[in-house]
Amino acid sequence: MRKLLTLLTVLVLSSIWAYAQVKTITGRVTDQLGQPVPFSTIRVKGSKNGTSADADGNYSIKASVGQILIITGTGITAKEVTVGDGKTLDVSLTRKESNLTEVVVVGYGVQKRSDVTGNIATVKGSSVADNPVQSFDAALGGKAAGVQITSANGVVNNPPVFRIRGTNSISLSSYPLIVIDGVPTFTGDVSGSEAAANPLASINPADIESMEILKDAAATAIYGSRAANGVVLITTKRGKRGKTKVTYDGWVGETKAYRLWKMLDADQYMMIKNEAVANNPGQTAKFLPTNGPDGKPINTTWKDLVYHTGISHSHNLNISGGNENTTYYLSAGYTKQEGIIVKNSFERKTFRLNLDHKVSKILSVGVNAGYSNEINLAATNTGSLPGEAFATGGLGRTALILPPNLAPYNNDGTYNINGSAIGTMSDVGVGISYPNIKVLIDNNHTSTENNHIQGNAYIQLKPIQDVTLRTVYGIDNLGSDNDFFLTPINGDGYPGGEGISTFNKYKRWVWTTTGQYDHVFADKHTLGFLAGTEQQSTNVLGFGLDRTNVSDPFFTNTQGGYTDNASAAISYNGASYGNGVRSQNYLVSGFGRLTYDYNKKYFLGGSVRRDGYSAFAPGHKYGNFWSASGAWDLSKEKFWAGLSRVFNTFKLRGSYGTVGNTAGINDFASYSFYSTSLYNANPSLYFSQSGNANLTWETSKKTDIGLQFGILNDLVNGDIAWYKNNIDGLIINVPQSGSTGIPGLNIPTNIGSLYNKGLEITLNARPISNKDFRWNAGFNITFNTNRVTKLAPGVDNITYTTGGLEQTSITLPGYSVGTIYVLPTAGVDPATGRRIFINKAGQQLTYEYSTRKYYDLKSGVAATSISTLDKRPMFNSVPKYFGGFENTFHYKDFDLGILISYEGGFYVYNGTQASIRDNRFWNSSIDVLHRWQKAGDITDIPKVEYGDNVSNGSANPISDNVQKGDFIKIRNASLGYTFPVKMLQRAGISNARLYISGQNLAVFTKYKGPDPEVSTNGNDNQGQGVDRNGVANGRTLTVGLNIGF
Amino acid sequence: MKKYIYQLAFAGLLLSAASCSKTKLNPLSTTNLSDASAFQTKDRIANLVNGLYGSLKSGNLYGGRYLIYGDVRGDNFLNQTGNVVTAYAIWNFTVTGADGEITGTWDDAYSAINQANLFLDGMAAGGNDVAGATLAKQYAGEAKFVRAVAYYTLLQLYAQPYTNGNGSQPGLPLRLTGIKGSGFNNLARSSVGDVYKQILSDLNDAESALPSDYGDDALNTTHAHVNTAIAFKTRVYLSMADYANVITEANKIVSASAPFKAPSGVANALQSDIKAVFSTYTTTESILSMPFTGANEAPGTQNQLAYYYLSPALGGNGEFSLNPAGIVADASWTATDARRSFINNDGAKQWLTKWPGGNPYIDWVPVMRYSEVLLNLAEARTRSTNSVDAQAVALLNAVRHRADPSTTFTAANFPASSDLISAILKERNIEFLGEGLRSPDIMRLGMTFPGKGSVGAVAPTDPGYIFPAPSTEIQYNSLW
Repeated sequence: MRKLLTLLTVLVLSSIWAYAQVKTITGRVTDQLGQPVPFSTIRVKGSKNGTSADADGNYSIKASVGQILIITGTGITAKEVTVGDGKTLDVSLTRKESNLTEVVVVGYGVQKRSDVTGNIATVKGSSVADNPVQSFDAALGGKAAGVQITSANGVVNNPPVFRIRGTNSISLSSYPLIVIDGVPTFTGDVSGSEAAANPLASINPADIESMEILKDAAATAIYGSRAANGVVLITTKRGKRGKTKVTYDGWVGETKAYRLWKMLDADQYMMIKNEAVANNPGQTAKFLPTNGPDGKPINTTWKDLVYHTGISHSHNLNISGGNENTTYYLSAGYTKQEGIIVKNSFERKTFRLNLDHKVSKILSVGVNAGYSNEINLAATNTGSLPGEAFATGGLGRTALILPPNLAPYNNDGTYNINGSAIGTMSDVGVGISYPNIKVLIDNNHTSTENNHIQGNAYIQLKPIQDVTLRTVYGIDNLGSDNDFFLTPINGDGYPGGEGISTFNKYKRWVWTTTGQYDHVFADKHTLGFLAGTEQQSTNVLGFGLDRTNVSDPFFTNTQGGYTDNASAAISYNGASYGNGVRSQNYLVSGFGRLTYDYNKKYFLGGSVRRDGYSAFAPGHKYGNFWSASGAWDLSKEKFWAGLSRVFNTFKLRGSYGTVGNTAGINDFASYSFYSTSLYNANPSLYFSQSGNANLTWETSKKTDIGLQFGILNDLVNGDIAWYKNNIDGLIINVPQSGSTGIPGLNIPTNIGSLYNKGLEITLNARPISNKDFRWNAGFNITFNTNRVTKLAPGVDNITYTTGGLEQTSITLPGYSVGTIYVLPTAGVDPATGRRIFINKAGQQLTYEYSTRKYYDLKSGVAATSISTLDKRPMFNSVPKYFGGFENTFHYKDFDLGILISYEGGFYVYNGTQASIRDNRFWNSSIDVLHRWQKAGDITDIPKVEYGDNVSNGSANPISDNVQKGDFIKIRNASLGYTFPVKMLQRAGISNARLYISGQNLAVFTKYKGPDPEVSTNGNDNQGQGVDRNGVANGRTLTVGLNIGF
Repeated sequence: MKKYIYQLAFAGLLLSAASCSKTKLNPLSTTNLSDASAFQTKDRIANLVNGLYGSLKSGNLYGGRYLIYGDVRGDNFLNQTGNVVTAYAIWNFTVTGADGEITGTWDDAYSAINQANLFLDGMAAGGNDVAGATLAKQYAGEAKFVRAVAYYTLLQLYAQPYTNGNGSQPGLPLRLTGIKGSGFNNLARSSVGDVYKQILSDLNDAESALPSDYGDDALNTTHAHVNTAIAFKTRVYLSMADYANVITEANKIVSASAPFKAPSGVANALQSDIKAVFSTYTTTESILSMPFTGANEAPGTQNQLAYYYLSPALGGNGEFSLNPAGIVADASWTATDARRSFINNDGAKQWLTKWPGGNPYIDWVPVMRYSEVLLNLAEARTRSTNSVDAQAVALLNAVRHRADPSTTFTAANFPASSDLISAILKERNIEFLGEGLRSPDIMRLGMTFPGKGSVGAVAPTDPGYIFPAPSTEIQYNSLW
């Protein structure tokens, strides 16, 4: 029977051959917007002849004139086209609105969204392109479930805190791996100056096509030892076949700080300080007015000298297009963005060329190349970058605490200075060690200039059907020039002046070779197989000059005349190198992935990677990482038929696997070292590093169980995922007791463990969708629980010191990473006006600064002093939930988009509040006006006593300065108008849109500082939720234009 | 054909990509020496010895802060800036064990101890053969000297004085072998007496191992020689109130009669001009000093003596001015005394200018001067004889006369031996103003720290009399 059938088929086929000229037809399947539709199925009607399009929508099939091709696929409306005389047949289809039909970029390839068994969120480049941010990561807040972005503060180009599914490390970085067009890039602040420099700012957001956020083991395991924090794949734009398109996108805007602290004016300041002196017996200081040049008493608002309205603008031009064989995307971008702080700015010039060329049916080649020049400028120390919180000249704090009865200038126009500090004018007996910041703003300058080349070239072969072989060689070279000049006039540079210049070079090459096999067996069994190898080599070099005592005031840079020269310290991977740094690391890997589905109903996936990493100890260099995953689309089952009118998709999926973390580990951490120094100009050697000869990566075991669904033909679709990241072998810098004399007093050891578990819910809906009015809504929320489960034996906890001075945070089992660690306090005793402290035994004590004594609250009997031993881990700094809510409305030619982001269930240590309630000469916030004055006063501000740095938490952090951080933010809102095409055609313009947009338009919070979205300690895991002396955040309003030709 | 070429080329690529580089996977640092290679050459061993002194030169120790703490705990300085990172809380006795100042000095002193221990271990494990017998002996003496100084330094701050209970009070964890890795956190404290015993044992060993003279002024000032070890012993015995031994040791390096000088080894002696001692750093008066040569060796931010004591107008940060009610108010310290020239009066405040150099603050820091040996001997003789000892008066005169030829003490000035002791203590207070001896002197005698400005007196029974236990220790050393 079968033989007969075969014979018959042959006969029929040969008869077709006889009657019609069968030819090979090639073409491309695109959607209504001209975007390629990948992987659609093309069949010849009435025959078994069929094929599928590739990822770019290209297909080829044998058919003859007059036959009908049926094009089908998930998420598109099926279409029939008749074969004509030509050899090419491009097909345009209508795409049904569903995110399940998209193609997503996965590690080392692309897949159909509907086939993916891992948890991957996609953010379109277009949704961040027009945001007035320096780098794309800063615009991701609220856009995807599981992704938490916290802007550190308003210093431009300061990297935001970036977490995927919680804080996944303690000592290493929790920043995700960022891969740009296949090449992992550098992250963190690479600046060696007082200006911040996020290297991700080298990617012009306007050049980004899409950002894929890989969250679970199934998605990330192909990145092996680097995937524990999640992986973000950035894909830049490529040319599309067709007419050359030219677009211009530009905006101009202004940025202003919001919710700044309100401080006392000069009269109030002198009144409070003199009262404080009177309250502290023995004190003799007098705070007195000085008349300014106008004859009126000086009343300086110092923050007006620091904050200003920054002007920003951005211009991007791109040209893209291509023909059958060659496509190209060229772009040039320029932006200059001023921050909320005077002289703090970011300027970037970018160029990009992405070229793809099909040499023959078998061979294609291409190049991606991006160059960026970024200049990050700051006048002086902002006091807002990690480690700077207590910098004497830090603008965040000095803008608040400098006395308003002092002026920046004397009446003769000279600077008001006294050595390195500000002059005290008429004040009597007031010692001030803080500089006159006007001098520093005028005369200091600091900058980081980055030159960044990122690119790759590939050769791709398709020797036979279904097989793709590809080799890619990529580079990521970042050169960073840092300059820093400290004026001899005042501040830290006084009296000699200092010039520091450093150069840091980060150089990386990556060579990846992959083979991919895809085949559909018997129409039902879809198999995909990937195998690959990869090498990544990174070299880091840094050196610099630190020159002191400028020989003439004329010189204001490092290259001028100085009398003393020293080498400048370079920091790399969290360590400081006095003589500069020369370091390297190397990663060699093999990896593979298998995907299988049966009839798009049952899906299976697996991936493995073997990594060898140079930084680990001999014998511990290699590790294996893997994942297994599966999915089941219930809506394809027969029994679902009844439900399918409600649920058009209903897909369960799950994955498990192990991945690792190496981010931020010292390249030579396994070795013990002696380093060189000098003793009386003679060389010396000292024991400088205790290595750990068993050091290896941290291991994250990731579980993900999820449900994807579409309701009423995707009127609403959603994704619900439960996840757990169990992390073992956490590298703890195990503290060594001081008397061991171990360098740095810690040794990195794989010993701790923690977990993050949670639930992510994403819902997208298009409640209204008609010709004139469309409404799309997207909502996501993530509930995350972060728990440390184990530190090292004998190590009960690890404390964290903010700015090298204030122990604000603690990490210990049973709590989340970086729990706020403070002295418990309970307000102010109405009887005495003293702060109430609670000691370890729970006893309430009041503190009298003038006698430096503690007293029992009830009995008034003198008590043992409160000390740091009375501190407790009290508040979680990690949010329990966070997410976003995005709405876009289109009405005729108008569009309105609003993105709301929110975080909740966490606390912020408002350390700045301690500074602005300090009773030394420091100016105070207006809160102090309702201080305690007489017995019976009920207030939260204790009696003011001159010199008191204890009662309000300057000396030791207190719980009265910890506040709930919960907030809802209108992160972005834009209103646009698209000009009617008819109006534009005459000008040769194909589309044009004008918009106004606002960033950080409103913050709803009970937090008392400028913004609860803050991180004084940057991305450091252990120091989250601390707001100490930094500058505020900015609100930006822009007007922009998008034009296409 | 074409197809096969492609395929071949591709196979080649795959192969080359798969071949990994063993060397790249095992990179070696080009900027640090591995611990295995540190003792491999004579030069490296010599450099390691320099490194031992370098560890004492830390800004938290003799680079600056140890001296500063010793002075500002006393009554001669007033804090001007209220800055808790520049000794404000040490000055007013409110410092806590978690403060960086408390952990900093502790950690750095123990780092010096561990460096010395590692050195001694490394020499025993092969370094001695590389260095040769003569140098090996000398280096062992130098390492033990450094260890003794570091332990002595810690005792002055973190433990009760020896005189409180004759050394029976809890002292320090006594670590005598090098530590390179984890697992050594826990070690109970030895008694103050046991630590002193170890210090003396090390100094005795050093005395017999060190060269008597390096034949080079700079080396004689920056490396320990025989007389350095002996001089340091006079300080140690004085702290233990073991006056007989102070005399025994001092007599080895102080001639029987004026002009007093060391009869053997380096000819340590007073210089005729005290100001010269602080400008020409390598005179025979400087028994041991910490050298700072060029900006590369600066003591580090906020550690420098001149930064603390010079007024802003003079190039410092004016952290501490001289207390007008302190020793500067003493009438017997005459206006013509050369040591008054170390005081700058700007009209409002008085500032100590012993270290006059501003940024990068590279004036050398004295660890011990010959005048201290003379006064140690004078005090020991007076206390042990309980009389107005003639040589003690002569020694006191030697120190006073050098700066103030107009004043001559005679036995008649001192009705009782206690008056002579007071005069010697006052002389120390004047002579070593800013050199860190004030607090150790107060403590070894069990005296109360006098009040100053807004700060009250601190009695020996006050918990603040000594530094609090550093949090880096008590948190991780379970046997503390």
